[in-house]
Amino acid sequence: MTGPDQLSPATREALAELLLSVADDEFVIGFWDSEWTGIAPMLEEDVATSSISQDEIGHAKALYELLAALTGADADAIAFGRAPDEYRHAALMNHGRTDWAFSVARRYLYETADAVRLEALARSSHVPLAQLAAKMRREERYHQMHLDAWLRRLAANEGSRQRLATALERLWPDALAIFLPLDGEEELVASGILPEPMATLRARWVAQLRPVMAGLHLPEPVDSAPPTDGRTRRTDDFRWLHGEFTMVARSEEVATW
Amino acid sequence: MVASDAPTDRVWEVFRQEAEGDPMIHAGNVRAPDEELATHYAREFYGRRQESHRLWVVPRDAITELDDPDLLQPPFDRSFKRPSGYLIKHKLEAAKARAASPGPPNE
Repeated sequence: MTGPDQLSPATREALAELLLSVADDEFVIGFWDSEWTGIAPMLEEDVATSSISQDEIGHAKALYELLAALTGADADAIAFGRAPDEYRHAALMNHGRTDWAFSVARRYLYETADAVRLEALARSSHVPLAQLAAKMRREERYHQMHLDAWLRRLAANEGSRQRLATALERLWPDALAIFLPLDGEEELVASGILPEPMATLRARWVAQLRPVMAGLHLPEPVDSAPPTDGRTRRTDDFRWLHGEFTMVARSEEVATW
Repeated sequence: MVASDAPTDRVWEVFRQEAEGDPMIHAGNVRAPDEELATHYAREFYGRRQESHRLWVVPRDAITELDDPDLLQPPFDRSFKRPSGYLIKHKLEAAKARAASPGPPNE
């Protein structure tokens, strides 16, 4: 059991990096999929996608607050006050909304990876993080069921299966970046804050995906080391989204929300 | 949103229960191609704000409907079939008064 006061400066910094990367993943995918509000394939799915996106923003909020408590910063300032290059989400979240198959492919990869990561974080020695991860898992379970339903449906039709396959192949290298080892990861693993190295979690995730993809005649996920700039590379698509989600906060910088 | 008129779409009626033991009350309906997505959408429409303890999701075509006016709205006076057809208020008051009295008066 470790409280924030007992952490060495190096461990504290690594924990901050871990919290920021998970929070930014949730935050940015939440905003990307909220771009489907009003234009999803049918009314019911529109409501469901928007609701899931809201859940992700809610998870990001809780993680930013945990980070703020650790560093003494303000959670809103972390969420909305950074330049695009200061975000630490995985490159998977650099892409625009594109078409429905692309969004389903991305979210399926994200939800399954996130489930593996949260299962590990729920065992964290950093109690506030373990508790939050356990809480998040209860909602993410439903997200995964929902995306699983969509993946199977799109794979069952030749036209949509082809779109799904193209999207999965395009997204795969950037999805691996979810498990890019963090700076100071050795400290985190040694202290039990991160119960297992990212590379172990990545291998577990790939092993879980393989039979699913094979069963649906979708491209086989090939395990390889994530690109080293997987959490720092930014794109024009993301810079556009950043302009959208910071618009209100920028409109009145001294306002309290 | 794009209107979906796919022939596979079905309408599912959703009933919700607020707490264990409460009656299942009709909440509304969702459109979905199958039971799995219908369940997901029912959850989003009628359960995402923690307002439901339990949902029933029923395909509309599984419901037997009865709306024949000859059966439900027969033409003759049926007021005597309503509980209000019997005025027992005064009888009840008299019975209560008898029960409250100590007994027959001593002569």
